[in-house]
Amino acid sequence: MDGGRMYVFSSRPRVVEDPWKPRWSPSERMQQKHGNIMRDPRVFRGITSSQPLKFAEESTTRAVGPKQVRRKFRARTPEAVQGRKHVDVQTESYLEELSDIPEVKETECQTDAFLDRPETPIFLAAKTGKDAATQIYEGDLFDFEEEVQPILEILVGKTLEQSLLEVMEEEELAALMAQQRAFLERRNNELPEVHRLQEQERRRREERERRMAEQRRALEEEKEVAEKIAARALTQQQLADLVPSVLASLRREGYFYDPVERDVETHFFPRLMDDVESILQKNCRVRELLDEIIYDVTQKSLDALEELETKASDP
Amino acid sequence: MSRDSDAPPAPVAFGRWAVPLLAEQLRLPGRDVRLRALAALIDVLRQPLRGPEALTEGFLQQLKVLLEDEDPCVRAKVCQLLHVLAAHTCGRQALLAASFLPPLSQLLEDPPCRRTVFLLLSRLSLHSSGRVSLLTLLPKLMKKLQEEEEEEEDEVQVLFLSLLRCCFQADPEAALRSDAVALLAPKLSNGALNICKAAAAAMMALSVPMGGKVEVCDQKVLPAVAALLQEEDEEAQLNATGVIMFAAVTTAGKLQCLHLNVLPVLLKLACDRHEDEDMRRRRKPLVMNSVRGLTMLAETPEGRRLLQDQLPLLRRTSEEEEDVDIQRVFETAIQVVTFTP
Repeated sequence: MDGGRMYVFSSRPRVVEDPWKPRWSPSERMQQKHGNIMRDPRVFRGITSSQPLKFAEESTTRAVGPKQVRRKFRARTPEAVQGRKHVDVQTESYLEELSDIPEVKETECQTDAFLDRPETPIFLAAKTGKDAATQIYEGDLFDFEEEVQPILEILVGKTLEQSLLEVMEEEELAALMAQQRAFLERRNNELPEVHRLQEQERRRREERERRMAEQRRALEEEKEVAEKIAARALTQQQLADLVPSVLASLRREGYFYDPVERDVETHFFPRLMDDVESILQKNCRVRELLDEIIYDVTQKSLDALEELETKASDP
Repeated sequence: MSRDSDAPPAPVAFGRWAVPLLAEQLRLPGRDVRLRALAALIDVLRQPLRGPEALTEGFLQQLKVLLEDEDPCVRAKVCQLLHVLAAHTCGRQALLAASFLPPLSQLLEDPPCRRTVFLLLSRLSLHSSGRVSLLTLLPKLMKKLQEEEEEEEDEVQVLFLSLLRCCFQADPEAALRSDAVALLAPKLSNGALNICKAAAAAMMALSVPMGGKVEVCDQKVLPAVAALLQEEDEEAQLNATGVIMFAAVTTAGKLQCLHLNVLPVLLKLACDRHEDEDMRRRRKPLVMNSVRGLTMLAETPEGRRLLQDQLPLLRRTSEEEEDVDIQRVFETAIQVVTFTP
């Protein structure tokens, strides 16, 4: 039971309980004393068919202890009443004669001095049943070679099929990767060339543009220079007679003056003119006065004439 | 935790009932039950034709809920399950349609799930619609690039950088606006070769638009790229030549490249002949990148002068070359070299 290692009993061997312990004291069960099984009074020692049954207690050589004392005082069958005798009686259904002396029967046997024991004849059982015969011919039995053929075919076929499928799957993956790689190779073949040509194109274009820009700039500069020259010529031309004309106009404007003349003009002339003006005004006033006088005189004469006329008209 | 992931998967019903019954088990509260059901689901859905069985609406919603579970093992297993689902086209489309990207972007911070989430996102990016949806993650990825810690393993970093490359290829302008070149530059001189390679690939994607080229020249990225060019690894050389090829389109880029003495290396890469057919086919992109880089550099006077000395070599290589594409590229290069204004 223990993993098949060693044979053990289905109920483990246990120590036989000491019979003198009272069973109703469970507290003492824990401290069972191991009684010697050889001295166990329940074990019968002796031959069953000889003497009347004797138990071990009488032949024990142990020192008489309290147990012995207890045994001796155990209750026995009470003594026979007077007039009666206890007799052992068999109560089984089939009575048996009990005696000390077993029944024996003696027989003797003696082999012959010089004769060997003959062979035991072969035991032949009596024949029973019906006779029957059978014969196995050539093709009747199971022919391994033939029978195994279809099974082998199936086995081999299935194995091959499975392996083919597995190989195909791996091939598929490998083919995908190879395809990727081939694509990459092709791409790597064409792509740098494309890049190089692009780069070349770009460089050339840039160069071209740079040169054109340079050219344009040169042209512009030339134009600027030409304009500058023209402008300079024009200005020179203008400036050539600028100075005299400026001088002339300045002189005309009166910016160049003789100080004495100016002084005379500024101080002397106004006064002179004022004086002239005053004189002329005086003249004017005088003439006005004179005119007034004349007017007055004429008026008076006219008035006088009118008066005369009126006087004349009124006779 | 390893004990849980090794727990035996739950018993699987036969045929059509497998997935629904396991889905029922996912709803139960016990953590072990859910782990076992998830392990069984991964096994079932990994079989070839059974993946699309799981693409019902309810199931996907449940998975989305489980993505936010407290237990890290459960989250890791759900990510694995999604990874298995994403192997199919219809699975990818369903995942994109059911808007799994926001919870997945949360899980980018989570150590056990990080690698699976990156694998899952790289599978999603196989579609153009997937790439477009991945662009919504771009701000978060840029922030992650900014605050990168050193303890992450190389593999996760490589996955992260390749995811960034997909995003950059889809929309480089947005990345340039968030200062991608400056953030990516330290990775180019990082220790491991894988990380440098992946970072160079991302930088190549960034240097496609004009603004990117200008920034690449400004941020002094080209010395690290030139150092990468010296490595023996083919892919590293390929990515490095790609960056140089794109960056040398601008004048500043050309001058920097000439200054860094990149011209002889490119010449050697371009004119190296290999007899093996396979080898030549594998090197074809490398040769084309190198010749294109030479073409860019030949547009400067100094580059042109240097290459005019090498003109016979170029002509000879172009005549020996059988591949039409490579011949064409060589022709262009020779044209540029012999150009006179």
